[in-house]
Amino acid sequence: MPVLEVRNIRKTFGRTEVLKGIDFSLDKGEALSVIGSSGSGKTTLLRCLNFLERPDAGSITVNGEVLLDCADASTLRESEIRRKRLHFGLVFQSFNLFPQYTALENVLLAPRLLAKENHEQFADKERLNAEARELFADIGLSDRMNNYPHQLSGGQQQRVAIARALIMHPDILCFDEPTSALDPELTGEVLKVIRKLSEQNTTMIIVTHEMEFARDVADKVIFMDGGVICEQGNPREVFSHPKEERTKQFLSRYSQN
Amino acid sequence: METFLHQLPIVVNALNVGFVQTLKLFAVTLLGAFPLGLLIAFGSLSKIRAVSMFTSFIIWIIRGTPLMIQLLIVYYFPGLVLHNPIWGGGEQGRFLAASLAFIINYSCYFSEIYRGGILSVPVGQTEAGLVLGMTKRQIFFNVTLLQMIKRIVPPISNEIITLVKDTALARIIALQEIIWAGQAFMKGSHGISGAIWPLFFTAFYYLVFNGIVTVLLARLERKLDYFR
Repeated sequence: MPVLEVRNIRKTFGRTEVLKGIDFSLDKGEALSVIGSSGSGKTTLLRCLNFLERPDAGSITVNGEVLLDCADASTLRESEIRRKRLHFGLVFQSFNLFPQYTALENVLLAPRLLAKENHEQFADKERLNAEARELFADIGLSDRMNNYPHQLSGGQQQRVAIARALIMHPDILCFDEPTSALDPELTGEVLKVIRKLSEQNTTMIIVTHEMEFARDVADKVIFMDGGVICEQGNPREVFSHPKEERTKQFLSRYSQN
Repeated sequence: METFLHQLPIVVNALNVGFVQTLKLFAVTLLGAFPLGLLIAFGSLSKIRAVSMFTSFIIWIIRGTPLMIQLLIVYYFPGLVLHNPIWGGGEQGRFLAASLAFIINYSCYFSEIYRGGILSVPVGQTEAGLVLGMTKRQIFFNVTLLQMIKRIVPPISNEIITLVKDTALARIIALQEIIWAGQAFMKGSHGISGAIWPLFFTAFYYLVFNGIVTVLLARLERKLDYFR
């Protein structure tokens, strides 16, 4: 049974139909990269999965539980969105760390707040702190835990943002162009962390413009164009022998650069 | 010179009494208007159109009319129009009426500053909180609020300094604040009459107090400098 099943997701903003029926599924431990030009709907898709946008149609199923089915009003209740959201994590393009908290506090804020509401998962303070420390070791920032975001480079901030998402133990971790706001030098350190996550079989969806990375890390790739999935499959196939004309065009632009 | 030296302690004593009333009005206004302003800001930002329109309307009325008239209306309207003089005639009644008028007036100004401050916090901050499973309330108090405060310290400082001087308007309903006390020496008070210098001298009180306020607010601004 797949971890994630997305069926016929549609989303319209005003008169623009951004997603025109997206279907895909993801198995546990798989990394999926989503590529496509700007405006193809990649980010909107991630935002729908994280309940930051509500799709107009379609369904999202995680581990067999229907989290959202636009045809079934009982799945659309505001009050349950918060719980459902925790199946997903999201790392933003612009990091969005909380500036008034240190790196460590950024990672601990949400679990601490949830612990106060008797979420048993985070109740053990010692374990939570130990886990945060482990995460900082994993992202190579043990010595920067007590720095404020503005004292960190963009690459370091993004790594903290990844740790902040990981401590919530999402079933599926989403990355929305995690390196687009970084210069090439800092891109590498973030990609390294994501690569390590995929080696540990973290289930991930990565929206990215880093083609080489998308090919190397992913078990599966989706090429989106104009709000539809134009082509999907094994990365080696899609990148080396794209079937669709549109995919060829898109990839050739990248290989030229 | 001799009369001045004779008058000085008498005048200072009287002005001190008036200034205590000034400070009380100042403090009560801040204590009331800080939270009420936030409530009004939430109203302005509400997605329920009726609520945001209602608060916009109130803000329009309060900011669009002189505080002096608002003081007169709050103080005299219950007694003269409703024939229910809720404030009584004494200094305490005048103080309560003045406090109410000032709190309403200043919370409207504060609310607009708060609103700007809340809107200036990037939406990504709220979204980051949401995807981490935080409630909107948790996000506001743990993420947005301090960032908003940092941004609004300069404009709020302006309002606070204006408030120190605006308290003088309460004289219109005969609240015995410092200007009232200074002016009394013109007509005659504590055995002194026809003296205008005590009125001028009140400016010194405002100046010193605003100096202290300015230093404290600058300190707060520096304190919030630890993050960006």
